[in-house]
Amino acid sequence: MGAQSPPTGHDIELAAKAASGDRQAYGELVRRHGSAVRGLLRRLGADSATADDLAQDAFITGFEQVAEFRGEGTFAGWIKKIAARLYLKKVKREARLIFSDTIEPAEELGGRDASGDAASRIDLDDALKALSRGERLCVSLCYGADWSHAEAAEALNLPIGTVKSHVKRGLDKLRAKLARPEEGARREAHG
Amino acid sequence: MAESDFEAQLTRLFAEPPSFPDAPLFNAEVAAKLDRGWAMRRLFIGGAGTVAGLFGAFQILSTRFADEIAQLSRNGGHNLEAEYSVGVAKINSVLTTPASAEAVWLAAALAVVALAFVVTRLVEEL
Repeated sequence: MGAQSPPTGHDIELAAKAASGDRQAYGELVRRHGSAVRGLLRRLGADSATADDLAQDAFITGFEQVAEFRGEGTFAGWIKKIAARLYLKKVKREARLIFSDTIEPAEELGGRDASGDAASRIDLDDALKALSRGERLCVSLCYGADWSHAEAAEALNLPIGTVKSHVKRGLDKLRAKLARPEEGARREAHG
Repeated sequence: MAESDFEAQLTRLFAEPPSFPDAPLFNAEVAAKLDRGWAMRRLFIGGAGTVAGLFGAFQILSTRFADEIAQLSRNGGHNLEAEYSVGVAKINSVLTTPASAEAVWLAAALAVVALAFVVTRLVEEL
């Protein structure tokens, strides 16, 4: 895409440029949101190689459909929805979408956050490992990809009540997991 | 922590993207895939243009010759040799009359334009 300086501007402006065939503008969107999409796919349960392949496919699909993005939501939310749909399609195709309550080992996320809130993010990734596959998928879709319960139910071909109960159980587990370090710190402060 | 507070915290945590050390490589791979797809699309359009140009040129030429052949068959009764001689004469006349020559030149020009288009595309891609 050349050695020119990266395009600047709001995501919506860049998406509009990309819709008219500007690949440099789209490259900037990839640079801005690539890690978020890769991270989401890992949190949904994809292994790192699959997550990266799907993230690339999501961005290619996004470029083909970018004219449909009209800025109603964020570009990040839009591209994450595409990525999540691709992931669900893949796991359905491979018949790996099993909603058991067994906890499967999850892969470590690839990188570490440079921001000051890195610890809490790592906590989230660790906490997600305590969830069953169904819980993890439902929680990540609803809170990571901004899907409604109804959207998740339709995509997963599950009754909405099942999705809600997966989310509820997942949230309970996450709350317990994420609260633990705070409680530990409080105990240390009092002790 | 209240349910809504916890959900807000969770949404915030999910919104924070992890940083990947190989992010530049990932971006470059996506860019390369986009470039490849773009190149394929341009080649496809170029190819389709060439085929359409050649098809148009042949259509113009074949329509002219088909008319001449139909005319020849309507003028039956002559022997084959005479028909052949007349046919050759007719084809020659097609190529020499101003209107027919115009069609031939048009077809040739279309073919040259199509060829130039393909060559330009290939040079760009290579």
